[in-house]
Amino acid sequence: MKIRGTVEFRDVEMGVWVLAGDDGRTYQLAGGRSTLLNEGQRVEIDGEVDEAAVGVAMVGPVLRVHGYKVV
Amino acid sequence: MRSGWCLSGVLLLAAACAPPPAHTKVTPPGTAHASAVPHALVVDFRDGTPAEEVAERARRWGLPLHLNSVEGARSGIAIADGVEDVDAALARIRGDPDVEEAEPLIQLQALAFTPNDPEFPRQWNLRMIHMPEAWERSRGKGVVVAVIDTGIAYEDRGDFVQVPDLAGALFAAGYDFVHDTDHPNDDNGHGTHVAGTIAQRTHNGVGVAGVAFEARLMPLKVLDRSGLGNSADIADAIRWAVDHGAKVLNLSLGGPGYSGVMEHAVAYARSKGAVVVCAAGNSGTGQVSYPAAYPGAVAVGAVGPDGQLAPYSSWGEALDIVAPGGNTKLGPGNGILQATIDRTDFRKSVLAEYQGTSMATPHVAGVAALLFAAGAKTPDEVEKALFEGAESEGAWTPRAGHGRLDALGALEALGKTAPGVDWAPLVWSGALLALLLLSLQTRARPGYLNVLLNPATLLPLLLSTVGLWFLKLLWQRFVGHPPAAAEVLSLPLPDWERILFGRGRLASPLMYSALVPGVAALLALKWRALRPVVAGLALGFAGFLLYAAWAKAPGIAYLPFTFLARPWLVLNGVLAALLSRAMLRREARR
Repeated sequence: MKIRGTVEFRDVEMGVWVLAGDDGRTYQLAGGRSTLLNEGQRVEIDGEVDEAAVGVAMVGPVLRVHGYKVV
Repeated sequence: MRSGWCLSGVLLLAAACAPPPAHTKVTPPGTAHASAVPHALVVDFRDGTPAEEVAERARRWGLPLHLNSVEGARSGIAIADGVEDVDAALARIRGDPDVEEAEPLIQLQALAFTPNDPEFPRQWNLRMIHMPEAWERSRGKGVVVAVIDTGIAYEDRGDFVQVPDLAGALFAAGYDFVHDTDHPNDDNGHGTHVAGTIAQRTHNGVGVAGVAFEARLMPLKVLDRSGLGNSADIADAIRWAVDHGAKVLNLSLGGPGYSGVMEHAVAYARSKGAVVVCAAGNSGTGQVSYPAAYPGAVAVGAVGPDGQLAPYSSWGEALDIVAPGGNTKLGPGNGILQATIDRTDFRKSVLAEYQGTSMATPHVAGVAALLFAAGAKTPDEVEKALFEGAESEGAWTPRAGHGRLDALGALEALGKTAPGVDWAPLVWSGALLALLLLSLQTRARPGYLNVLLNPATLLPLLLSTVGLWFLKLLWQRFVGHPPAAAEVLSLPLPDWERILFGRGRLASPLMYSALVPGVAALLALKWRALRPVVAGLALGFAGFLLYAAWAKAPGIAYLPFTFLARPWLVLNGVLAALLSRAMLRREARR
């Protein structure tokens, strides 16, 4: 699925990169190339939401990134 | 008529004078050791005694007497040390008309343990929960705490290096569920940080301190290097932990997805006598993440050094308690400091300041270990002490749970015996009855004692205000351990539902309302004989609800705003009172 939003770094736990989605949800980013991780970068991510993943960040569902494009 | 007003006045006065239940907990005054300082005494001269006078007396008595401080010139307090025979000197001094008081010098020493770890002064979080005082009572000796996380840097093995400040800390055998090995070393840094807060080696002159430093850490690795894992590994680890002797489980992890497998594992752990402490989540929303939101888990939110809920902390109906988790928005030094491994290179040990509900959770887990070591037997006992000992400004709220963790408060709450019967609702009902009767015309008014001495009215009145408290006591005395039914009947009727449906954080709006007496009143429309019963029942509910509103307890479930709880209680209390009045009047007409 494709989700649009803004890439942000959140200073909680060990630090976590998230996508503040235009749908109002916050996704924890997993995988993808390091060029994705730029504070404030507007992107459309192609990936899948893993609602079942459990982790230390606890900011929202994990979004496993297959690819992305800057928008 | 006049005697009626007097009676109601007395009852109202009694109700109003009864102190409200102590919901607002203040920091306990520092308990202290007192001991006499050898060869020293203190003399309190009349206020305004000039220094020359004091010096003159010192010469006359042959004592090295001098004013205690700059304040001494005003207060007249002088001390002397190196006194050969304190008792004889005091006998001489006490005869002097200028002396108000003379006694041996007493040394006061606060009952607190200050560890010598050099970074301890930076651990505001441990002072906030009163660890120095709590350490005088318990250090978690012998309790096994499972840290279900990214592992712990607990041994030197291959590329893995033990964090120096964990040298000498106690460990139980653990397991790595990610790589299926017996060596759950940390390759992330999160688990080691969390474990340090629970049971860091303390008073060793190195690094920082931990909450329950005589407890034993059980490392269980369920999260990979990126800090992610799955519900199957976590559920397995929960069961593994309790099957291998862990009494406290720390889960500084979570996700938005419900998992029946994990929920069952939490229930299993609790049924085996373990406390399951979980992070509420870092979404900053009113939705507590899983596993914290499962029944049986203690959900922990985070506060900053200012005591306010941290902006990232999740909160909501499942929240149980808040603990220091840091707030770095307030500037450096406001996170939680612990020894761990570098997040980019796990071969390097560092002191790191992190913030999160993950950091708050181990404070609660550590205090749970202190409670078990101090004699708590069941998770129920531990949770009750945690919640009752928490610093709070009243009843449960969705943003603070039962309040802010207080290690000393929890240990003190554990020592207290179970609270007795709360008679206040019955007193309130009695006062209400007097008022209701006075509001009726003389011809329609039954006598006060006639109403109270009628068993058909008195029994439901007792049931709905104080419960059949004697049932449990009689059972314990003559039969043994009371069955669940007797326990339930021993509670006021509005609270029965909280027992039937497990540990309720909030009261049901159905039971804490005029619904039950309302339905009973409908039945009484058809069967007139029920009227005295409904009168007592409604009167009891009225007293119970109005008292609950006055005492600010408890929160009501499903109401959109917390502040609506009191208006709800007052409204329903008044409704119940009106029902009771109607039943009393009609009864009188017959």
